[in-house]
Amino acid sequence: MSAPVLALRGVDLTYGEGATAFTALRGITLDVRAGEFTLLLGPSGSGKTSLLQVMGCLLRASAGEVRLFDQSLAGLDAEALTARRLRHFGFVFQHYNLFPTLRAWENVAIALDLKRVPAADLRGQAIDLLGRLGLSDRVDHWPAQLSGGQKQRVAIARAIAGAPEVILADEPTAALDGRTGIGVAAALRELALERGCAVVVVSHDPRMLPYADRVLTLEDGAITDDRPGGAGAN
Amino acid sequence: MSTPASIGRLARHRVPGTSLLAWRNLAHDRARFVITLVGIVFSVVLMGVQMGLLVGFARTASSLIDRAGADLWITAAGTSNVDITGTLPQRWRYQAQAVPGVASAHDYMVQFAFWKKPDGGNESVIMVGIDLADPIGGPWNLVEGSVADLAVDGGIILDRLYMDKLGVRAIGETLEINNRRARVVGFTDGIRTFTQSPYVFVAHDEARHYTFVDDDRTTYVLVKLAPGADREMVRAALAARMPDVRVWTTDEFSRATRVYWLVTTGAGAALTLAALLGLVVGIVIVGQTLYASTIDRLPEYATLRAMGAPNAYLYAVILKQAAISAVLGFAAGFAATGVAVAISRTGNIAIDMPAWLAVVLALLTGLMCAAGAVFSIRRVMRIDPTSVFA
Repeated sequence: MSAPVLALRGVDLTYGEGATAFTALRGITLDVRAGEFTLLLGPSGSGKTSLLQVMGCLLRASAGEVRLFDQSLAGLDAEALTARRLRHFGFVFQHYNLFPTLRAWENVAIALDLKRVPAADLRGQAIDLLGRLGLSDRVDHWPAQLSGGQKQRVAIARAIAGAPEVILADEPTAALDGRTGIGVAAALRELALERGCAVVVVSHDPRMLPYADRVLTLEDGAITDDRPGGAGAN
Repeated sequence: MSTPASIGRLARHRVPGTSLLAWRNLAHDRARFVITLVGIVFSVVLMGVQMGLLVGFARTASSLIDRAGADLWITAAGTSNVDITGTLPQRWRYQAQAVPGVASAHDYMVQFAFWKKPDGGNESVIMVGIDLADPIGGPWNLVEGSVADLAVDGGIILDRLYMDKLGVRAIGETLEINNRRARVVGFTDGIRTFTQSPYVFVAHDEARHYTFVDDDRTTYVLVKLAPGADREMVRAALAARMPDVRVWTTDEFSRATRVYWLVTTGAGAALTLAALLGLVVGIVIVGQTLYASTIDRLPEYATLRAMGAPNAYLYAVILKQAAISAVLGFAAGFAATGVAVAISRTGNIAIDMPAWLAVVLALLTGLMCAAGAVFSIRRVMRIDPTSVFA
């Protein structure tokens, strides 16, 4: 078994202080490995998104330790955490979060630009990534001209731009119809396999189950179940 | 989240994507962009015209001194500007000529007088009497007639800009100044006065008669130095020989005259305040429209932040929006100011736009837009990347 890309040990996350304090995560211990598709399930308010944000260096754990490639993230300032996100993570959001003023390829190119890909290579690499997600005929379209599924695939292309080791997706199929959602789930699964990415998906969507190697269930901020998913069981 | 450090990294961060985002953010919301540009144009025109007027007034106020070609000016003690002065004994000219280092000394008269218009009305004018034997301080930009024509009895030269004001149509016309007959023998082009009392060039002795100054007196003695002469030593020697005078260098007297008119009339303060107002208006408009655009796009900035964009990247987007606005706004505003400058050349009030002022205007426009961007940058500094998670 490969070394974990991301390791959480006894992680707590508490919002606020004193009487208004709210604990969102309790004692989370978890390893995320390359090439593994991990699905986080749980009811609303169970802490799934908070866990995703802690794993993605967007929030600091209140207690416990988060290690990225065996290096502790404790003590890093906001800019250092931002740099880690840029280098190691790709994000897919529920509402796509595409830049409406940029064409499809430009949305992907922004991520490449952030990762300092030479300007001359931006369009070529962006079109290549979109092509892999079946969007070769949509590269010059504006987000408003794309369907929900196409937008989410542009968002996935943007997330994998620059070859991050970890893809974190928050409810990526929530706004999509059944068939489109399955397509997005399959695309994320393929990423894990082909690119060796660690893919972590927060979802309520049972359609995701067949694509997951591992399914974690959260309740009240704690992992209550950890079992193989449909793909892992095969 | 260190802002100075982030801004410092801006210069080193190669960010072509920020240019694209900046331009698209502006172009996507054309109404707001147009409002921004209109605000900048308004501000640039206001600043440009007011500062141009200030420079034009200053240049006009001291033009007699700056154009005279003298090295030193001997004036009555207490003189503070070239247009209003007391008289000196004319013999000071000969005293001056005897001072070592003086190449030549010249009588020069500047005095107000009343000009009687053909319709019976009066206008005040400033008689400028020059030494025809060795003329310095004479009219420049002559377009009709010559300085030698001033030797004609009552001969005067005035500027075409004031022909209508003084009721003059052509060379050869006769008229009255302080009840003495005068004849127009030439015209200049573009010699304005700060006081709006036109300069009327005339022979020195005639000027004395027109203004009722005694025959043995003048108002200034202009001194030209011999090559290699030490200006300060000559000045000290002149001052020592003549009581109750002040000896100025041309630069000193020019500056004193400009300060006098711009300060005592309040014109300098008014124009400066109006220019500052233009700057403030520009900052407010740019700040407000850019801030509104930033607020509209906060989710996009949060997305960038979540994706791992450093603060410098976000600041670059905002600053480039400000820079694009500044460049386009300045170009349009400067063109409009140029039209105002061109129109002013045909009138009595000059708006000057020397190259250095254009550079200052461009820098102020950049400063204005950068200051306007500060509000947006401060907002983006506080952005929470977790806000992108629904």
